[in-house]
Amino acid sequence: MKIRIDKANCVGNARCWAVSESLFPLDDDGYILIEEADVPPGMEAQARRGARACPERVITIIEDDAH
Amino acid sequence: MTEEATLTAAVPTPAHITESVFYDFDMFYDPAYLADPHKRIQDLLENAPPVFWTPRNGGHWMLVSHTANFEAARDTETFSSEVIPHAQIEAILSQLPADSPPIPRAYPINLDPPLHAKYRQPIQGVFSPKAINKLKESIRKLAGELLDEIVDKGACEFMSAVAQPLPVKVFLKLLGLPVEKFQTYSALVKAHLTATSGDAGEAIGRLQEVANAMRDTILARRDDPRDDLISLLWTIEIDGQPATQQDIENYGVLMFIAGLDTVMQGMGHGVRHLAMNPGLQDELRADPSLISDATEELLRRYTFTVPPRRLNRDIVFEGVQMKKDDRAMLFLPGADLDPNEFPDSNRFELNRGGKPHIAFNAGPHRCLGSHLARVELNILYEEVLARLPKFHLDPERPVKFSGGHIIGVQELYLAWDK
Ligand code: HEM
Ligand code: SF4
Repeated sequence: MKIRIDKANCVGNARCWAVSESLFPLDDDGYILIEEADVPPGMEAQARRGARACPERVITIIEDDAH
Repeated sequence: MTEEATLTAAVPTPAHITESVFYDFDMFYDPAYLADPHKRIQDLLENAPPVFWTPRNGGHWMLVSHTANFEAARDTETFSSEVIPHAQIEAILSQLPADSPPIPRAYPINLDPPLHAKYRQPIQGVFSPKAINKLKESIRKLAGELLDEIVDKGACEFMSAVAQPLPVKVFLKLLGLPVEKFQTYSALVKAHLTATSGDAGEAIGRLQEVANAMRDTILARRDDPRDDLISLLWTIEIDGQPATQQDIENYGVLMFIAGLDTVMQGMGHGVRHLAMNPGLQDELRADPSLISDATEELLRRYTFTVPPRRLNRDIVFEGVQMKKDDRAMLFLPGADLDPNEFPDSNRFELNRGGKPHIAFNAGPHRCLGSHLARVELNILYEEVLARLPKFHLDPERPVKFSGGHIIGVQELYLAWDK
């Protein structure tokens, strides 16, 4: 599973980070640091919750079977 | 404050407003709204068009549905935050005599991109979750002190006893202003809240007083920095230029207008709900780890800010013809009660599957102080539940509300067994 983030539209409100600090690292200004990341095994549910928590809807989850 | 509110006059309906989008609603004085605001909002969601035009308050659009708010908030090219265009304001200000006192500008709340980012980016880090978390213990102490003063009394008017003073104290602490300024800023908040005339000159005068009251500290921190926000503001750059005294005063004024009565009203709506729901109090006292979910759901259930916009161009929006220079309200309280977004939206549900509300808006203007607001609300609820026994509304003295750009709780009488 992958996380993909439309970084340009992140407004820096850290709702994703509130779900998981390791999956959704922030820069010092509180904006999301990453554009894409692999989800470590066992963290899939956290990744989905983090994506759902984004008020801007800029986080997409890419399931493995989508490739 | 007016007891028997009268409606504002209705203006004539412009030609592009069709009957199907016309709905008469006065967001300042509608009687049912003032009696029980969020109940009336449910009624609007059921009975008014999802986007409608009202002839009250000079005539304006109301965006009620979640979709309309979410889309408009992110389309800053159409829905401008420059209710008066920036260039026009600059032109007026440049006409003033050079020696007249500076007029505070609450940048970036009233600027559109790309200029907006120029003033928001430098202070983004100041409000990041990491920076705000450091304030938690001092906020808890301030909340505890206010609650200790009332706990033995068995009753209180919660707004004046806690909800109004607490955010002012946090504001002084955050900026590094001396505690002796408490009375000054409390009085300024009251003047800001009760201002009804809408007179631009008076509004500017109030903001100048806000700036005047912090000028000494701003100058002192320039030469002798401490661990506070004003000192930090002296170190930032705006568009490659070091921040000036005027920039810092502007940011101080911005925090005053955006961060005080908002938190206060959030506390009012939240504590009212707790007072009406003793079962919820029991549940949260038994497991305080649920309080952060409660904070979110209270923000959703009682979303209370209504940011204004100006149409920058003609557009057909959500099937409705709008014209350049029409005014529009992002009626966020409607968005967060829209049953199409939140099923069974009137119900308070501790866990809505992590679905986000837009009480802090969406898009580039999304509340910069949201972490601070959440921390303040969360700590307040924790301390209220820990320090007060089961409390309820005083049945003799009904809650009083006010309308406008912030749905306010004016009086909230609580009682409990000593
Ligand atoms: C529960 C309390 C609060 C609520 C519901 C709230 C709500 C909002 C909303 C809806 C906006 C967007 C306005 C617009 O789109 O025109 C906003 C903007 C803003 N808020 Fe808050 N706010 C709260 C507390 C605070 C606090 C404590 C601060 C900081 C001290 C703050 C600072 C700001 C600033 C600086 C902006 C302007 C952001 C921009 O234009 O980019 N707010 N707030
Ligand atoms: S929740 Fe969304 S907008 Fe907020 S920081 Fe995370 S990605 Fe950015």
